[in-house]
Amino acid sequence: MPPSIHPVDLIVALREKHLTPAIVFLTSRRACDEAMQAFDHSHIVLPPVRQEAIAAVLEKVIAQYPSIAEHPLIPIVQRIGVAAHHAGHLPSWKIAVEELMRHGCLDAVFATTTLAAGVDFPARTVIITQSSIRKSRDFMDLTIGEVQQIAGRAGRRGKDLVGFAIVTPSPYIDLTVLTKGFTGHPEAINSQFVISYPMVLNLLKAHPLDQIQPILAKSFAQFQLNQRAEVLERKLDDLRVQMDPFGPRVCTDWITEWQTFDQVRRQKSHRVPIKKFESPEIAARFHFLTPGRIVAFGRSRGVVLRQYRSKGQKSPMITALRQGGGITESPAATVTEISDRILDCVDAPIYPWCTPESVEDLLHNLDELPTKLPELPILVPKDNEPIPDAIVQTLGDFACPACPSRAACQSDYPLASKLRQEQHRHVKSIQALRTSLWHRFQEKIDVLQQFGYLTPASRLTDDGEWARLIRIDHSLLITELLRADAFNGADPAMLAAVMSSISNDDDRPGSFPRVSSGLASLLGQVRKLAASLSPHEEPPLLRADIAAVTERWIGDPTLTWIGLCKSTSMAEGDIYRLLARTLEFLSQLHTLKGTHPGLADTASRAIATLRRGVLEELP
Amino acid sequence: MTTEELEQLLAQQPIALLHRLARGRVQRHFRAGKRRLIEVLLRHSAENRAGFESDLMILIGEKPARPAPAPAPLHAPTARKPKPSGAPRRPGQRPAEPESQELGIPLSTWLEGLGVPSSSQPFIPDAWQEAAIAKLRESDVVVSVPTGSGKTYVAVEAARRAIAENRTVIYTSPLKALSNTKYTEFSKIFGADQVGILTGDRRENGQAPLLIMTTEILRNLFYDAGGGEIDVRLDTLGLVILDESQYIADPERGVVWEETIIFCPSQAKLLLLSASIGNPHDIADWLTSIRQTPCHLIKHSTRTVPLRAGYLHPNGKLSPLFRTAGIPHGHPSHLHPEAKRLFEQYEDETQPSGRRR
Ligand SMILES: Nc1ncnc2c1ncn2[C@@H]1O[C@H](COP(=O)(O)OP(=O)(O)OP(=O)(O)O)[C@@H](O)[C@H]1O
Ligand SMILES: [Mg+2]
Repeated sequence: MPPSIHPVDLIVALREKHLTPAIVFLTSRRACDEAMQAFDHSHIVLPPVRQEAIAAVLEKVIAQYPSIAEHPLIPIVQRIGVAAHHAGHLPSWKIAVEELMRHGCLDAVFATTTLAAGVDFPARTVIITQSSIRKSRDFMDLTIGEVQQIAGRAGRRGKDLVGFAIVTPSPYIDLTVLTKGFTGHPEAINSQFVISYPMVLNLLKAHPLDQIQPILAKSFAQFQLNQRAEVLERKLDDLRVQMDPFGPRVCTDWITEWQTFDQVRRQKSHRVPIKKFESPEIAARFHFLTPGRIVAFGRSRGVVLRQYRSKGQKSPMITALRQGGGITESPAATVTEISDRILDCVDAPIYPWCTPESVEDLLHNLDELPTKLPELPILVPKDNEPIPDAIVQTLGDFACPACPSRAACQSDYPLASKLRQEQHRHVKSIQALRTSLWHRFQEKIDVLQQFGYLTPASRLTDDGEWARLIRIDHSLLITELLRADAFNGADPAMLAAVMSSISNDDDRPGSFPRVSSGLASLLGQVRKLAASLSPHEEPPLLRADIAAVTERWIGDPTLTWIGLCKSTSMAEGDIYRLLARTLEFLSQLHTLKGTHPGLADTASRAIATLRRGVLEELP
Repeated sequence: MTTEELEQLLAQQPIALLHRLARGRVQRHFRAGKRRLIEVLLRHSAENRAGFESDLMILIGEKPARPAPAPAPLHAPTARKPKPSGAPRRPGQRPAEPESQELGIPLSTWLEGLGVPSSSQPFIPDAWQEAAIAKLRESDVVVSVPTGSGKTYVAVEAARRAIAENRTVIYTSPLKALSNTKYTEFSKIFGADQVGILTGDRRENGQAPLLIMTTEILRNLFYDAGGGEIDVRLDTLGLVILDESQYIADPERGVVWEETIIFCPSQAKLLLLSASIGNPHDIADWLTSIRQTPCHLIKHSTRTVPLRAGYLHPNGKLSPLFRTAGIPHGHPSHLHPEAKRLFEQYEDETQPSGRRR
């Protein structure tokens, strides 16, 4: 049995049950492409009428987008009535597939889940082969909302009476994720408010600093933070009621008073010998020397049978069963290593402190142990903070011992102090919830002041005035590059190439054209600056190979799309997206024509060359 | 399991297992001896007895599979049933066998109703569509309904009315591809001269009353308006439509939707169209709290075209996924016995190489 159904069998099964047209969601682009290849020599061809219908629709789309006229998938699409649709394809090809689907020409489309959101692309049936998707380099289980969005493509209004979402297993499937997704209630969504440098500059351009906090307060982020704060406030109200009986007594703040008194009292009684002889380290380790624990004394090993304190000195001691069968009494300080391993031992009240069978077992197990055991990490607490002298001196001033409410304070203290601690905690959290956005905003202000985009009074400086027009990712890097005159003398190809290496965040390897030496040294400079800005802004990948693709496209205006695609192993769709993003970045530079006329001009020349062929087909 | 039984079972376990069980439940459990540990564990288990017991069963279940190599192999080849754990299946659920006795519906019933509606039906808007359009007259509207319900109709009709009143309409989507599709679609509905599209470097028919753009571009327009450079005619802006507005929860781009909504001029109505989300009322309450008029929420979760779930085995065998034809909401475990059997068979066959995680 193959781990998943063969694409041809799948289509045959769907046709037989009249479950076409279908969208088949696959885990990767590669899976979609392989599925298409499976039809290469297949005999499940469409009747001529349907083939002609497909040709007719394609012809219309090609008239509008000539770039797809020679698309290698066209023969299979036409012959079998199946297509692939994923991010590796050109937008115009995806439009063609969507158009074919809308006309009901296809039986199936193999797609990745990128299709699930937003593209208008319904079918009678949806085939689900996975229960997780790749999100920022990690596979994550589909959420209920995602499962429903994917399954929801099944059943076209006006064209189907019912829709079908069919699960077919692949090795990557966890059925419970899907059944929960089908039957569950979608998750609540949460704000993802991030404060960016352009946001700060643009807000401060339009509003004085003292109006910013009310604006941030209007965000969904703050709305949700307030919801959480309100929950805590209700808890605070409850606490207040519970605290009622613990109001002021002889002293107004009796809880603090009693706490201090009690602490001092305890410290005094604690000043018995133990403290003097025992280092905090030994005290901490002593807790772990419990029956069954494997320990080492220098080179030999043993199992702890019991722990106790010696009669006179009250020093920490253990009884241990040593390798070879000896039972020894040793000071805890002689233990050189405490392992993270405990053996079974049934304890007994008298020597040897465990049952005879246990001794047997332990001895046997001791010999079987590996030579290296993981050590138990033990935190040594800081020495108990001594009470400040001032308080100790006033010990005599405590009224508590003779106070009429002493008994009440003593018995109420544990509960009252717990409630009050909770109160403090809630008050602090509420404060944090109410002010966190504003703090994050101020952090960004600090950076922008430090770099000179904002005055100490948080007004825009001259640099701030133009920098606020750069509203893309990595804005700080870009504006700093401009201030460093990094693009002085750069030609359109170089400028565009650097912009695309800043915009690209795809780290998939591949083969690419070579960079020119000029571009290589410019990128070196950009990398240095990006690294120096890393405390304030995550550096982009800055791949030279990616930059080289753009450099070629703009450096050589006679280069055709096919020629460009042949120079790299990148998928067409990825090249398109890279250049489209570059276009976006360049057009932001173009808005700086007032302050950086030379750069804006270079950017606009780059845009003009970049927008040709395929890149001219869509707005 | 009664408390006594549980106590007994715990007492039979090696201390190492008890320590593993105590991890995350009992503070400083490594200090306790066996008797004490059992005591604390029992006390703790009162809070979530079921969870405690199932964790205990899992630990007991995987014990023989771990160190003891001695007697285990004798039984291994004969018994196929108790699968090695590692698959995220709770042993606690195992005894619920009798449910599989319950018959699921036959495949033929599941497939019934498949077909095309008679085409002569005139287009009649749904009540919720009418309500959304009507409410938009006086307030912002949030629509959260399942995929494919017909949100576009609301957008189109609301836009039509605003255009008739000489107001500008902006429609935003999260994706350029979707913007392009809508550009074509709306041009067909309203006429090419009535629709424009804005991208970073291009502006097609930028003076048209209905403008399509990505949400980022609109946010930038609002930035510019705030900074004093009015770009598009924001003063005549009557309606802003944010399609696929569940994107507000996107980790990287979500903030753009928040900004757009915060900066949206008060005279323009907001129409948020979103797929089903868990807390649409939060979005509506939020809008009510920051906008001049209370926001109206339209939500429902019933699909217009009913959905059925199925299971297709790699050998081509098809079965309903659940015991009922429709989706049993709230009952993920109501699997069809046939689907369950087939899937277990699949897991058995692919077990060793299969699982990631
Ligand atoms: N009242 C109606 N009666 C019949 N068909 C309708 C009705 N309303 C919308 N439709 C049809 O339903 C289909 C889906 O509509 P639409 O694309 O607007 O869904 P949507 O809610 O936007 O879904 P998505 O979440 O995928 O964006 C369209 O073909 C549309 O013509
Ligand atoms: Mg829609």
